[in-house]
Amino acid sequence: MAIINQATKELQVKIVYYGPAMGGKTTNLVQVHDHVQTANGNKGKLVSLATSSDRTLFFDFLPIEAMSIKGFRTKFQLYTVPGQVIYNTTRQLVLRGVDGIVFVADSQFEKMAENVEGFANLEENLKTLKLNLADIPYVLQYNKRDLPNAAPTEYLEFLLNNRDVQVPSFASSAHLCEGVFETLNMITRMLLNKFISQSTPQYA
Amino acid sequence: MATLPQLIEEDVQLLEAVLRELLEQSDATTVLLIDQGGFLIAHQGDARLFDLTTIAALASGAYLANQTIANLVHETNFSSVYQQGEKFSLFVSRVDDSCLLAIIFKAHLSVGAVKYFAGPAAQRIVEQLKLAHERDPSAGLDLSMLNLVDPSEVFKRKS
Repeated sequence: MAIINQATKELQVKIVYYGPAMGGKTTNLVQVHDHVQTANGNKGKLVSLATSSDRTLFFDFLPIEAMSIKGFRTKFQLYTVPGQVIYNTTRQLVLRGVDGIVFVADSQFEKMAENVEGFANLEENLKTLKLNLADIPYVLQYNKRDLPNAAPTEYLEFLLNNRDVQVPSFASSAHLCEGVFETLNMITRMLLNKFISQSTPQYA
Repeated sequence: MATLPQLIEEDVQLLEAVLRELLEQSDATTVLLIDQGGFLIAHQGDARLFDLTTIAALASGAYLANQTIANLVHETNFSSVYQQGEKFSLFVSRVDDSCLLAIIFKAHLSVGAVKYFAGPAAQRIVEQLKLAHERDPSAGLDLSMLNLVDPSEVFKRKS
């Protein structure tokens, strides 16, 4: 649930990176943190609640301030979920209050079943929160395109983006920072568009 | 997607007044009103001492994790989390379905007093948020002048 504060002219939005284990969700946040250009150093600290083997345990969290939009300071809170199957309850917690979703799929052929399961799991978990994926802006990111065993993007599109309404998708190699900002900017655009279509002028 | 509550100046002033009063009554260091999704809505007290944005996100996560554990042990009346430290302690308490109150206070202070004053403060916050909601349930934000055809300006990669 986005927070709009007319008094302090702030808009806060929550974006969750979702997807199968070791697909590159945390890497996306690390790359945004390392490479984002901010006006006044308004880049928060990247907080990772991870295991000793660098697997996300609860979530990664990166608060970041985008350009000022119509005088509003737009604060984005980027989260990742733990991908491992055993952390499903944790994923539900992180999804609470979500405004936009980036589904990070692993392009490797042997990960296709996990991608599809992960997507189904996302829909299920949203249902437990009484949310519907169709009502939430989301984009797909096909990560690890630089690996030799990457499946064609058309195949990933067939598996994950084969619905009535197709959503934007991006090929990426997150560890090289390729496709990372394109994905983030697209979900941002979709979120802000949603605000526009919902909005009525406010004169507070 | 709910874009509520939309808070106008009147709401924020009242919420801050409630938090300020709670801060004085309980002798706490910092008081935060946070959304259960992890957003910081308002705060009072020493903001330079702590990274409030991150504390809000983590406190909300910790509260929700404990809430889930409570459900697993069939405990329904589980509305707060208390962490006792050596320098500072933290008390996180449910305000309503959407908000939490997080109070950071010196460890030598009594958590009982903090709890005592947090209750009525939470009640006043609930009333104000309800008012904000009823004022205009479908309120959004007028971004209609924004050109979103090219989103690449929102986040830029360092060249």
